[in-house]
Amino acid sequence: MRIPSRVRGRGRSWQRTAGSVLIVVGSVALLSAGTSAARGAIARDDARARWAELDAKRAAAGGRRVATASRRDAIARGTPVARLVAPRIGLDEIVVEGVGDDELRAGPGHMTGSALPGESGNAVISAHRDRHFSSLGRLVVGDTILTESDAGDVAWTVTRIRVVDADARVLRATKTQTLTLTTCWPIRFFGSAPDRLIVEALPVS
Amino acid sequence: MTRFPFAATAALLFVSATSAAAQITTTIVPPKQPPAAQAAAARREAAAQDSIARVTLTDMKTWVDSAAASLALRPDTGAPVSDTAAAAPQPPTPTDTAHAAATPQRPRAEPEFRDGARAPDTATSLPALALAGGVLIVLGAAMRRRAARATSRTPR
Repeated sequence: MRIPSRVRGRGRSWQRTAGSVLIVVGSVALLSAGTSAARGAIARDDARARWAELDAKRAAAGGRRVATASRRDAIARGTPVARLVAPRIGLDEIVVEGVGDDELRAGPGHMTGSALPGESGNAVISAHRDRHFSSLGRLVVGDTILTESDAGDVAWTVTRIRVVDADARVLRATKTQTLTLTTCWPIRFFGSAPDRLIVEALPVS
Repeated sequence: MTRFPFAATAALLFVSATSAAAQITTTIVPPKQPPAAQAAAARREAAAQDSIARVTLTDMKTWVDSAAASLALRPDTGAPVSDTAAAAPQPPTPTDTAHAAATPQRPRAEPEFRDGARAPDTATSLPALALAGGVLIVLGAAMRRRAARATSRTPR
């Protein structure tokens, strides 16, 4: 039995329409992702420029200032507060205050309320796995991490790397200088990653 | 014959001169200026009213308090002046000149560090969004191509 040509034509028309709809929806999704990535790149450049400006001001003032708890509380979110370098994995990022969407778009975020790198206490820095911390999974115990902040320049040694559930309460207050880097895990994962990668480091003695 | 052109020329000159005069006389007349003495009097009146308005400001207390608070933000002016008649004033937020380019404060909705806190939510759907977009575009293009091929094969 042959299908009437009128029915076949209707099917082809439906295919064309559906194909066009899929292309439009896909383009919107791609455009959205691209826009977000572009905004992230712009915010990152801005954070770098602001850090360079702050660094120049500090150099002109004759050195770095020691951050205090009261001053730290006054730091506005989005302000560059530190520089984070992991030479072996090619990581060199400017850390901004806060871990909100806007801050994590610009760079790794310093978790508000935690110590600044170089201060006594646990300094917690987080970033997206698909952007600034995409190479964090390549760190191994014993690697060196360098930080610069108002509290001073510190060289750290990675002492512990672990993967925990996203709901795990893993962040601990410490009295000694500690650096904790966190990101989502697995690094290569489509969708909302279910785990967290926790990298802990202590100052080089 | 030689007089006609002269007459015509004279008539043309007369007519054109009339229209030219009309154009020249149709000018925009500037508004009448008040006499200088009257203008000076008006200016004096306005100045007097302005001075009176400044003197009769009613909410001077609020203005003085706000001025004192703004002065207190300067690093060279000691503690802020407290106002016992008003509600307890909020202490000025300490400012950091090194961070002057910072973004303004927004309502806080993100986690703050404390002992036993979870790691911040750094999950992002950006890779999934990009992948989904690419897949949809490829799928849509394939569907359109298939429809186009079927159309070209259909016997007329």
